[in-house]
Amino acid sequence: MSSIDDLLRHPGLWRAREQGGATSQPTGRPTGYVALDRCLPGGGWPAQGLIEILTDRHGVGELSLLMPALAALSHEDHGEGWLAWVAPPYQPYAPALVACGIDVRRLLLVRAQPAEWAMEQALRSGACSAVLGWAEFRDRQGLRRLQLAAEQSRCMAVLFRRLADGNEPSPAVLRIALESSRKGLVVHIVKSRGGQAATVQLGWLDPAAHAVAH
Amino acid sequence: MSLPGKRRVTPGVQPSSATVRSQQGLRPAPGGGRGAGKPVRAAATSNELWLAIHLPHYVLESLRRRTAAAQPDPDPGTATATVVVDMEGGGKVVCAGDAAAVVAGVTRGMALNSALALLPGLHVLARDAQAERELLKAVATRAIGFTPRVVLEPPDAVLLEVRGSLRLFGGVRRFIAQVRERLQSMGVAPLLALTPTPLASLWFARMGEEVALRSRDGLASRLARLPLACARWPEKHLEPLAAMGVRTIGDCLKLPRDGFARRFAPQMLRALDRAVGCAPDPRVAFVPRERYSVRRDLEPEISDTERLGRAAGPLVDELCSFLELRCCGVDVLDFSLLHRDAPSTRVCLRFAEPTAQAGRIAELLRERLARTELPGPVRALRLRSGPLVAARQEAGDLFARARGRSTSVPQLVERLRARLGTDAVYGIQVVPEHRPESAWEKGDILPGRGHFPPGGHSPFRPALPAAERAKGNVPSQENVPSRENVPLRPLWLLAEPQSLDGREHPRYEGRLEFEEGPERIESGWWDGRDVRRDYYVARTAGGMRLWVFRERRAEGRWFLHGVFG
Repeated sequence: MSSIDDLLRHPGLWRAREQGGATSQPTGRPTGYVALDRCLPGGGWPAQGLIEILTDRHGVGELSLLMPALAALSHEDHGEGWLAWVAPPYQPYAPALVACGIDVRRLLLVRAQPAEWAMEQALRSGACSAVLGWAEFRDRQGLRRLQLAAEQSRCMAVLFRRLADGNEPSPAVLRIALESSRKGLVVHIVKSRGGQAATVQLGWLDPAAHAVAH
Repeated sequence: MSLPGKRRVTPGVQPSSATVRSQQGLRPAPGGGRGAGKPVRAAATSNELWLAIHLPHYVLESLRRRTAAAQPDPDPGTATATVVVDMEGGGKVVCAGDAAAVVAGVTRGMALNSALALLPGLHVLARDAQAERELLKAVATRAIGFTPRVVLEPPDAVLLEVRGSLRLFGGVRRFIAQVRERLQSMGVAPLLALTPTPLASLWFARMGEEVALRSRDGLASRLARLPLACARWPEKHLEPLAAMGVRTIGDCLKLPRDGFARRFAPQMLRALDRAVGCAPDPRVAFVPRERYSVRRDLEPEISDTERLGRAAGPLVDELCSFLELRCCGVDVLDFSLLHRDAPSTRVCLRFAEPTAQAGRIAELLRERLARTELPGPVRALRLRSGPLVAARQEAGDLFARARGRSTSVPQLVERLRARLGTDAVYGIQVVPEHRPESAWEKGDILPGRGHFPPGGHSPFRPALPAAERAKGNVPSQENVPSRENVPLRPLWLLAEPQSLDGREHPRYEGRLEFEEGPERIESGWWDGRDVRRDYYVARTAGGMRLWVFRERRAEGRWFLHGVFG
């Protein structure tokens, strides 16, 4: 005779509280880089809340760091979640994105200056599964609003800021600073809710080698 | 007045002149055809029920509708009395007046000067035939919501065939109440009459008799009491009829058919037959406009955009109920703001998908108006819709996850575009092309409207077959191109290649170290933008990875084209 637990495990059974991302355990989205996953609480990018990436220059691997997770997201939800890029510094190059496994039909590019408003709209709309923004925040209020919006949405929210901004406090769930060295990318976890500060040596990133199983 | 039953008995029994007259009376006996216009009981019309909507105050109401609806109903005690004059008749004669004017003794046909003598503060408006036609069409358009068979009866009535709608709306009484309520909400005071024939309904309504007759048994006897004026026959026929002592429809029905047709007009005879239901009365159904266009005058003029947005609210509501009746949406809306001295300001709203939601339209309009510079006060608003598009009916989804994703994308895009401009929000797609700058292009965002190539993989590294792995079919090693022979592409591309220092060896924040290359790209001779370049992957001293190329023509300068983000 089967117990109630067996019945509840039946794959055809759907439980209301498991819908809408209401599950309580804080699982992260795998980053695709095992060394980084190990240092992050939940084993990956936080599922909710703002992620801040601090870097002074583009081209050190800041996008490659996100690519495996974005590729996974662009195929989730029956391909219905959109990836919004707000105020990117250069033109995202479609052939390379496709090569990384991203469904470029799900890309939403927004030229906005300042980027805050557009980012917040994208987060609150519920239409996106990831929102990437490049912005310089002068006021704490705006950052706080963004963090709230990110917290309430089921969206991966990433904000790129300058290294110098790392000295100011921030409500972000995760803050990482990128440093490029002779040996490749070094990720400093500056702040991590539920985790610890750490430094991870990632080497030269090749997103092709780091698929996220999903 | 003789009743039909009596008349049927009389032939042959009393050979009096009265009997002869009734034998050949206009009211046809069911038994057989006598007289010239032998009427046949029309089977086709037998099952119909017609509701007539008569608008006794249409002249005034059509003009009121044009001015801003925001004003509350004028209180008859305090508001200035209003009359309408026909400018085609020289503007000398009052052709309609409101309640306040009537109370003061102003009547229709009165000279304007006399009216002004009675009421010195009289407000005089010019009659507008266009507005009257629009009012009638607006009423008919509303009526479409009750029945598909709506007939215009210019200048002041609309007919509805409602037999099939009565049960849906909860019976005759409730149906009529709902029609009345809906018409009153658009600012008209209708007279409604329901009978089995369109003409009878119309005549009752014109006379202000709000009857509801479901069967045609008592129809002739009820009609008989109506004065002849209800039929609106030409004055030249009414006068001799009056001289003959014929004053009601009943009197008319008693006249001999052939003589009546000969002496007056065959159309009048036909009208009588149709009214009592003995002749078919085919009608041309009203087909509503396939675009929506309305103009509203603003009084007083509005110069701030926020109030303008509020004033446009009723227009948007009207548009949306218009759309709802057709299960349609619009994707383009054109608002014109008319100024007194300056050319009109156009505000064109484009929706990412056909919409009929008043809230969404109003929100977008507010957003756009807030960014619009007005050259002067606005005295009128004009709203024109683009072509109507059949709206996609979305079924709700039980599962919260699936809902609220791509359905809200169009709204997000709309909102962003309203503030940032149409060009600021876009998608990208891959183009099969060797030249790096031509290998992608901007695309439309919304699926189904753009022209996306169906999925597909770039032949470039990093060739992560994520989709395949997601499906669980990991490709075998033979199928995956080896890393060495797949060209590398950067995630960031510069809008224009940036010239680098250095002749033999390029410099960017110091000397560049080559990682890979060269990859020769030589293409495009056919369209005048041909490129001959050697591409390299290079690393700066600071750890950035760049995509640089050396021009193979001329002096072989170095350029930065992409950044490996």
